[in-house]
Amino acid sequence: MVMKLASLRSAQVVLLIAALAMPLVAQWKNLPMNGPKKADGSLDLAGPAPKTADGKPDFSGIWEQADLKYFRNLAVDMKPEEVPMRPEAKSILQARTNGALGNQEPDANCLPQGVPKINGAPVPFKIVQTPNLVMFVYEAFNLWRQVHMDSRELVDDPNPTWLGWSKGHWDGEALVIETRGFNGKAWLDTAGHPASDALHVTERLRRPSFGRIEMQITIDDPKMYTRSWTANEVLKLVTDTDLYEFVCLENERDLKHMNK
Amino acid sequence: MRALSGLCILCLCLPPLSAQWLKYPTAGIPRNADGTPNLSAPAPKTADGKPDFAGLWRQANGVKYTVNLAADLKDGAPLLPAAATEYKRRQDTLSKDDPVGHCNLPGVPQVNAVPYPYKILQNAGQVTILYEAVRTFREIFIDGRPFPPSMNPSWIGYSVGHWDGDVLVVETRGQNDLSWIDSGGHPHTEQLVVTERFHRINLGTIELETTIDDPGAYSKPWTVRYNLTLMPDTELIEYVCTENNKDVEHLVGK
Repeated sequence: MVMKLASLRSAQVVLLIAALAMPLVAQWKNLPMNGPKKADGSLDLAGPAPKTADGKPDFSGIWEQADLKYFRNLAVDMKPEEVPMRPEAKSILQARTNGALGNQEPDANCLPQGVPKINGAPVPFKIVQTPNLVMFVYEAFNLWRQVHMDSRELVDDPNPTWLGWSKGHWDGEALVIETRGFNGKAWLDTAGHPASDALHVTERLRRPSFGRIEMQITIDDPKMYTRSWTANEVLKLVTDTDLYEFVCLENERDLKHMNK
Repeated sequence: MRALSGLCILCLCLPPLSAQWLKYPTAGIPRNADGTPNLSAPAPKTADGKPDFAGLWRQANGVKYTVNLAADLKDGAPLLPAAATEYKRRQDTLSKDDPVGHCNLPGVPQVNAVPYPYKILQNAGQVTILYEAVRTFREIFIDGRPFPPSMNPSWIGYSVGHWDGDVLVVETRGQNDLSWIDSGGHPHTEQLVVTERFHRINLGTIELETTIDDPGAYSKPWTVRYNLTLMPDTELIEYVCTENNKDVEHLVGK
């Protein structure tokens, strides 16, 4: 069903990508990139990942999705029957599958893409790392996320939000980020896999080489799925450039052309 | 008239301040015997000896500078005739066209003066500011890069900084002419150059000096000084302007 869904919605996806993929025109030139170099002086993206002063893996840099398929369908690597959807999740996905609800997708209305969808957007984001705080700065929708690395705990009944409340910890070389406290309005992908306010997202980031982050995303939402499920995304380092300004609402002409 | 437009901004800007980590203590700051932060303690330094601006901040004057950045100037801002006409139009229509009221981005310097906190993060080559208001961010590059020869006009502009002793001097160019200097409507053109001087005089205070240099709108540069105060033991909360925004229909001018 999910494969069929992808083709049914391809027109809408194209629209969405047209809306999101603004030309990547950087304003800064000749940016020096620190990192391992090849003999010819160019960056060695296969070289070792850097460490921070306190010996932790350093995820700093500008990153983008290696494959946009997860943006379209977070469960793309699973067989449709393997996605453990509850009946209500199936009916929501089915309603969104025919494309008629595309104009309800939050980002089509300039509302924030939630976590984890925002990681998959076809524009880059920057990770800024300090010992107690890791920050994601997203070109998409000009948004940011804070990941607290101290010992704080989230309250039992957090104020519902689009991007949730994130705290992180180290598991060896992996940065593990737990996010809860969602409002249940965001879609997990443009296909429309739903999430509720019970959503709990775990992002597990590893940087095996200078140019690559492996990001394992686990969706745990007992109201929508019978068990947790996982997607394995890859991020590529984007070199010699910087983020660009993204203002969704300014002169927005797409929504009226979507569906109906 | 200004009071009214200030009121408008307040309605737009003040959701209930209920943070999830509302009372979470900020680590690593000097405290008094009773556990309260010692806001008059010396300003911290980074590992490389630079003043460290990291923390959660807000401007300390309510909406005074939000509404009128030139509030302290005896004769007002030195508006050129066309800019004066536009400013009068915006004042006469009670700021109904303020881009921020319509969920567009505030530019620099307006973004610093909104009545919301913002967090400053400082790394070796970059200062990043996360603004609660409109959930936007700014990157200030302090890695020595020059401005490019041609900049695509943007709402928040392009910012580079350098150190002048203990002062972080930030210059911003390349802003579009759509943003306003303040919610009262002081205008600017694409020629705007904003210079901000951030000076952290102690743990709890940043003195911020802002200079507006825009030969397209003002006959000479003008400067405003106000303080930012540290907000310890709390956190930013989520702000989504476009969600269920009911204000725009009430911004009708007169």
